[in-house]
Amino acid sequence: MEQFFFFLFAAGAVISALLVISRRNVMHCALFLVLTFFFVAAIFVLLKAEFLAAVQVLVYAGAIMVLFTFVIFLVHIPRTEKIRQTFRQKNLALALGLLLGLEVAYILYGTMAAPASLPAAAPVGAVGNTESFGVALFTRFLFPFEVVSVLLLAAMIGAIVLAKKEIDR
Amino acid sequence: MEVFLRGYSALGPYVPVFLFIVVAVTFGIVTLFIAKLVRPHRPYPEKLSPYECGVPPLMEARERFFIRFYIIAILFVLFDVEAAFLYPWAVLYGKLGLYGFIEMMIFIGILLVGYFYAWRKGALDWVKEG
Amino acid sequence: MSAEVPLSYYLILGALLFIIGAVGVLTRRHALVILMSIELMLNAVNITLVAFSRMQGNLTGQVFSLFIIAVAAAEAAVGLAIVIVLFNSRETLNIDEINLMKW
Repeated sequence: MEQFFFFLFAAGAVISALLVISRRNVMHCALFLVLTFFFVAAIFVLLKAEFLAAVQVLVYAGAIMVLFTFVIFLVHIPRTEKIRQTFRQKNLALALGLLLGLEVAYILYGTMAAPASLPAAAPVGAVGNTESFGVALFTRFLFPFEVVSVLLLAAMIGAIVLAKKEIDR
Repeated sequence: MEVFLRGYSALGPYVPVFLFIVVAVTFGIVTLFIAKLVRPHRPYPEKLSPYECGVPPLMEARERFFIRFYIIAILFVLFDVEAAFLYPWAVLYGKLGLYGFIEMMIFIGILLVGYFYAWRKGALDWVKEG
Repeated sequence: MSAEVPLSYYLILGALLFIIGAVGVLTRRHALVILMSIELMLNAVNITLVAFSRMQGNLTGQVFSLFIIAVAAAEAAVGLAIVIVLFNSRETLNIDEINLMKW
């Protein structure tokens, strides 16, 4: 049963990801990206990472895609001069994709022979995912956690400086 | 249905969520499809043009958005990430005690610097003053 | 009854999404679509990290996935601001036409 759901969500994620990189209309790309994020969130639930699934929906599908949609509306390109999409560097991309695929296949070859089954008893037992997640975050990874706030501050200031220039113009 | 749920112990609580999503999506698609079957389809140029109070359309409908929206959206994204970090903290608050409180106050304090920066730069003013 | 999904399936899914993202970055011309492909690649890495975290039985991978999500948000905010400035100065988002370091 779990395998059925895994294949369902994995197929959905891969198909919508393919649509993201192949649709011509940028808005369609953005909408299919949202769909991909939802499927990835479902995969997280299968992996018993419920908190991350919620954050995925909240931050990725909720916030980052709102930002993308805003920018799609902001950069107004008249219908007549849409960017022509002819898939440049197709051979290079295909070669690279094939190389990556072969690499992954090579690495996985050993593990496929003796499939590492996931431990049935996940680390998140009775306490719940969010709580054990918080324990790890606020004790072992305290310093990275504080650094994240500095990173967000830097991003905020950088984005405001860039956008402010456009307002003042 | 009962058999379906029983055989699926590990992710049992998510089965209703999954069914809910499936039903919602199917309902939307089926409704649109049936409407397409039933409604008459007799287009002509005037009918297809966007409605602008009855006068012929003057310019393209996709007007450029105001850039101030973008700054609000940036602040929303970054504080949304902050909120994502707040959830596990809130769940654990009782156990972490003063230590956790100080941790989170440092985190929020650093982000508040950015907020005040945006405020001082006038990024939040809807209409530029002076 | 509930057959477990082996770890390698998740790794293959992550690798597939990563490859799709990489191909998107290389082939598309629209700056926004390239940014979206980068988000796809970050998501693929997240799947891999969470799968390994599940296998290892600790939460390190999940915590780092959360950090990656934060980095992705920061990257999107700054990257999209750059896209807006770029569009307003060059009137195009076709990265084949944006080929000067300085304008």
